[in-house]
Amino acid sequence: MALLTEVKKDWGTLKNYVNGEWIDSDSGKVIDIENPSTGATVGKVPMSTREETKAAIDAAHEAWWAWRETPPITRARLMFKLKELMEQHFEDVARIMVQEQGKTIDEARGETRRTIENVEVAAGVPSLMMGYNLEDGAAQGIDEDAVISPLGVFAAICPFNFPAMIPYWFWPYAVASGNTYILKPSSQVPITQNYLTKLVEEAGFPPGVLNLVNGSHEVSDTLMEHPKVKGISFVGSTPVAKYIYKHSAENGKRVQAQGGAKNSLVVMPDAVLDRTVPNMLASYYGCAGQRCLAGSNLIAVGDIADPLLKRWMEASKKMKMGYGMDESVNMGPVISAKAKKKVLELIDSAEKEGAKIILDGRNAKVPGYENGHFVGPTVIDQVTPDMRVAKEEIFGPVVQYMRMNSMDEALDFIDSSPFGNAASIYTSSGKSAREFRYRCQCGNIGINVGIVAAMAYFPFAGYKDSFFGDLHGQGQDAIKFFTDRKVVITRWF
Amino acid sequence: MVECDFPECTTFGAVIRFGIELEKGTAAIYEELGNDPRLAKGQETFKMLGAAHKKRGTLLEDTRREKLNEMILEPIQEMRGQKYIIDTKVPPGMDLKAAAKFASMAEGRSSGFYLDASSVAKMLLAEAARIMERLGKENLSNKAKLEAL
Repeated sequence: MALLTEVKKDWGTLKNYVNGEWIDSDSGKVIDIENPSTGATVGKVPMSTREETKAAIDAAHEAWWAWRETPPITRARLMFKLKELMEQHFEDVARIMVQEQGKTIDEARGETRRTIENVEVAAGVPSLMMGYNLEDGAAQGIDEDAVISPLGVFAAICPFNFPAMIPYWFWPYAVASGNTYILKPSSQVPITQNYLTKLVEEAGFPPGVLNLVNGSHEVSDTLMEHPKVKGISFVGSTPVAKYIYKHSAENGKRVQAQGGAKNSLVVMPDAVLDRTVPNMLASYYGCAGQRCLAGSNLIAVGDIADPLLKRWMEASKKMKMGYGMDESVNMGPVISAKAKKKVLELIDSAEKEGAKIILDGRNAKVPGYENGHFVGPTVIDQVTPDMRVAKEEIFGPVVQYMRMNSMDEALDFIDSSPFGNAASIYTSSGKSAREFRYRCQCGNIGINVGIVAAMAYFPFAGYKDSFFGDLHGQGQDAIKFFTDRKVVITRWF
Repeated sequence: MVECDFPECTTFGAVIRFGIELEKGTAAIYEELGNDPRLAKGQETFKMLGAAHKKRGTLLEDTRREKLNEMILEPIQEMRGQKYIIDTKVPPGMDLKAAAKFASMAEGRSSGFYLDASSVAKMLLAEAARIMERLGKENLSNKAKLEAL
């Protein structure tokens, strides 16, 4: 079938959005933005300087007080306007993500919907940031109030895997609750946020309220070190999350830093295989395995191991790879040649350690897309807990098939991982499900659900080395992160 | 005649796209029949059905946009689109009976598509399944209207 058309073939050199204006970076350094399905360059992103980042921070700081004084209901109305614009441009946003990130159009449409949902939830800010009070709370005739107040300038350093949604876990809540903001999109996928920020501008947010600065380490370090920035939100790998958490905290900031994952999906002998297999396919192969919530280890408990593997192999072989602009495609490429190399290296390591590659996607080719970074669905059997591939985040469409004797054994294995992002159980037993959710030390738990993606009104959780901080992105957690409680004790003479 | 671009029905989005293409094609058939002066007796019915199919296309667009989220991106392997493709090339010089029969065939294929898609969608999303089922049943009632011409 014919491919859907791209919004633009070439996006040129992107600009920064600072204080309500689109401005070129003077750094003189740009890097290419690559379409990972075709290998074509679709634009260039500037590597902005420290000075340019400082100018954005100053603009956000300047804009803060007037924005803080804008009533929450007025701020909410701007969120409604933005939502309307996003609905109008829904398909464009989705197609841009396919072009620069490589996900399929269905995945991109799903992500666009999730992005809008965060704006919808943030639009409820007049209710979300209400404080509380108690008459005679301090003593007779002395009342006590807790007022929820914004804090100033916040910033987010964003990853490549969800170009639209992840920045929206943060900034709509921050801005709706009266803060100003600086976004640094991933330099691998900056076009989506560039496009969305144009909608923010069109919605009528005042200059300086939301700023966008393209770049890399220099931008991030400046955001983490600058005294006017009150807090940092981050999503990425664990080593970087640890660095961001430490470095930002050293500089007196609030931090929420989401790290990597090694998610296990446990299939019990009483699982309903007809429903389990298709659901797990989306978890392991969706977004080419590049989700923080992607399944990685597949743990079959007891005698379901062989029948499950047979069904799994049949279904995996039917996955159709290609450019996500073809609506019938089930899986796109990984983000870059470097990412592909890392995935292949981990598959190789499993082979060297004695596991068996029973479905090998290392040499996957998609006709017409020879320059794409495709890795086919890969199934590695006879993986044991001590193997590298069972422990390290792979971020590719690779299944590590493990056989265990009991749920206890599976839970012990999951517990032994330094990561604690997500885990799922497939079972028809309420008792097993209850025990799993109670005992499992991961932030996002699925019961017969393979992608435990919290809706916008719930926090995107994470335990252990998968999250550094205490308040998560989205929902009430986000409002709490971006505000503080001011206590007022009042007596009138 | 309108060119339709029917995808393989391997994803939820592709199934909906297939439906959108069906609606586009069926609406085009009715438009052509509704504008044919030799089919004056059926004009009102053809025009009414054409408008209804355009509306259904919009309903499917909205369904794709609003109901699709990350939780339901499971691959679909049960549907073979080939079975439901309609012929949008209206043969010239048909009388009313032949024209109604031609349109009725498109309605029948569409009905088959939606009723099958409904049972597939049931696994993914009950809301979408209900919409598909409704569309399939509407096709059958359209068929009955055409047979009465």
